[in-house]
Amino acid sequence: MATAETNTNGKIVFDSKSEAKVEYAPESAPKLALEIKKDLFQTLPGSCPLNTAKGNWKITVVGVGNVGMACAQTILTQNLADELALVDVEPNKLRGEMLDLQHAAAFLPRAKIVADTDYKITAGSAICIVTAGARQKPGESRLALVQKNVSILKSIIPQIVKYSPDAILLIISNPVDALTYVSWKLSGFPANRVLGSGTNLDSSRFRWLLADHLDVNAHNVHGYLIGEHGDSSVPVWSTVNVGGVSLLQFLKDNGTPCSQAILDEVHKKVVDGAYEVIQLKGYTSWAIGYSVASLVKCLLRDQRWIHPVSVCAKGFHGIEDEVFLSLPTQLGSSGVVGVLNVPLTDEERKKLQQSAQTLAAVQAELDI
Amino acid sequence: MATAETYPNIVFDWRSETAEHVPESARKVAFDIKQALFQPLPGACPSRTATKISKITVVGVGNVGMACAQTILTQNLADELALVDVDPEKLRGEMLDLQHAAAFLPRAKIVANTDYKVSEGSDICIVSAGARQRNGESRLALVQRNVAIFKSIIPQLVKYSPAAILLIISNPVDALTYVAWKLSGFPSNRVFGSGTNLDSSRFRGLLADRLDVSAHNVHGYVIGEHGDSSVPVWSTVNIGGVPIIEFLKNMGIPYSQSTLDELHKMVIGGAYEVIKLKGYTSWAIGYSVASLVNSLLRDQRCIHPVSVCAKGFYGIKDEVYLSLPTQLGYTGVMGVLNLPLTDEEREKLQQSAKTLAEVQDQLDI
Repeated sequence: MATAETNTNGKIVFDSKSEAKVEYAPESAPKLALEIKKDLFQTLPGSCPLNTAKGNWKITVVGVGNVGMACAQTILTQNLADELALVDVEPNKLRGEMLDLQHAAAFLPRAKIVADTDYKITAGSAICIVTAGARQKPGESRLALVQKNVSILKSIIPQIVKYSPDAILLIISNPVDALTYVSWKLSGFPANRVLGSGTNLDSSRFRWLLADHLDVNAHNVHGYLIGEHGDSSVPVWSTVNVGGVSLLQFLKDNGTPCSQAILDEVHKKVVDGAYEVIQLKGYTSWAIGYSVASLVKCLLRDQRWIHPVSVCAKGFHGIEDEVFLSLPTQLGSSGVVGVLNVPLTDEERKKLQQSAQTLAAVQAELDI
Repeated sequence: MATAETYPNIVFDWRSETAEHVPESARKVAFDIKQALFQPLPGACPSRTATKISKITVVGVGNVGMACAQTILTQNLADELALVDVDPEKLRGEMLDLQHAAAFLPRAKIVANTDYKVSEGSDICIVSAGARQRNGESRLALVQRNVAIFKSIIPQLVKYSPAAILLIISNPVDALTYVAWKLSGFPSNRVFGSGTNLDSSRFRGLLADRLDVSAHNVHGYVIGEHGDSSVPVWSTVNIGGVPIIEFLKNMGIPYSQSTLDELHKMVIGGAYEVIKLKGYTSWAIGYSVASLVNSLLRDQRCIHPVSVCAKGFYGIKDEVYLSLPTQLGYTGVMGVLNLPLTDEEREKLQQSAKTLAEVQDQLDI
């Protein structure tokens, strides 16, 4: 068996595969197991040592709050990772969450689940998901969270970069656009390897609302919310379609009156969706977990789907600032493959630029 | 579209025309669009479901209930999921949080209400509601607290889904499954508890971790009480078919009973440890329940150690619920595996049964 790395700086290592003093292992049991292993399984002559080959699908989740754990759990259920590393500042909660996942071993495909307050366990991750940060309070706008979370990211990003210099950073913490920008700056990574979950979830809420009204599957309602993940997001009504049928065009041709006010109401419902859930249950978790898992799958397995995620938008649709905001983006194993050239009406373009300006104003005030 | 039924309580019916989340004006527009977008075939019968839908109810939207609900959705086990709880705001919040994932999940109807009518026609009713186990509190100490809660739950579930299978998760699960069975009047094959399904996973996971194999190749049951007096059936634990105790003997590898007891102790301690560290357990029990639901709904006929009426097995004379290796399918409990036990294991199981019978006798149902 490979020798476990010993953690010499006194922090507790919760490595599930460690031979070192794992707290919950009875003294006698590891010895017993070692001897059995050698006799149960006979290695082939000429084999290379065990445990020297590594898989490609290691995912780190920073922050084991409701969002982080929903992401971790959904990723495990969908069998996306060989190895899952959890990092947080609170060691007891961290260990508890790790154990709770490990205890499901009989019901899940085998995955190595490790947890530590030390970022060393994140080494060699393909994707690092950052959910850590102060939670949005009921009624608090996302932009009000920013400065609180900048200092938290300063303790996170450089550590991730140190141990996984080739990883893709996926930022979830809110306000996601500003914090993805901050992460990008702190990491020094090329722009294709830093993205934020952005409006991926808003677009799901948007599509769900429309699908619910129209009694179709949300997968057949195509449409993007772009721009800020927040109040100034832009629904691209001009390209919303149901199974290929352009909605606005259909309304015109069918003579169905549909005022801009109605469309704005629907958009408002989407923006309010998160606030409503926060007000009712205190936080959101499940939906963002699924949203992140879908992004992870696309990245890890090079699926090349288009997702509206927060990327560096300078140069698109007349945006001149170096801001992060959501655009329909193709994702794959290299991270951001490219941005879809979705045609916008003049009005949509203008709204997007306003969204960009709002975000740039916040970014300009940040002390990074 | 079907007319929404109005209830005195708040209706969170996702498909209702009176749904709160639908802006009034948008709903009218949508109705017109729907009729124009899709043209029905001439001679089509009105839209009632041709095939029977799979419906699951989860009672209790705390950490355990929601972990069950979410895992069930992710594994695409249900066409319809109904959530019931006493706290309407938390209930609505959880329902919305699941619905918002529509673009990432297969389509499922997700409804929620404080009124049990929403659970009508369920195939499986999962009861996770109940007082949470306190730090250091033994499972048996929870019982009387939860009996009163069950009296407000079980009759309602029975009323609206008289043919359902009841799956009890609330702790202490063995006693409460017995209570649920008595309150429901259901035949014993349709009421069972999650029992030691999860304990066995912890057991297999611990061994698998030590032996560096997949837990799926470590076969073994922990039976009896879901708690301190559970019984690890070492005599039939095997790794890919190799019985472990025999193997140790044949290979001359020394081990002591205390080593085996330590491992078993870790399994029991597992839940307490997680509760101490994060306040509760959720993810593992969620997966455990989803695996049971899969066996039931898809008639998988897998064997799971779950809490069933054990009278008549292994010399147990009391009408107690405790975990035995049980085959599950459409009808619920198909039968109990006749697992051979050593004299010692049999005795421990009978002791477990006695412990549980004592508690049951004291219950005021």
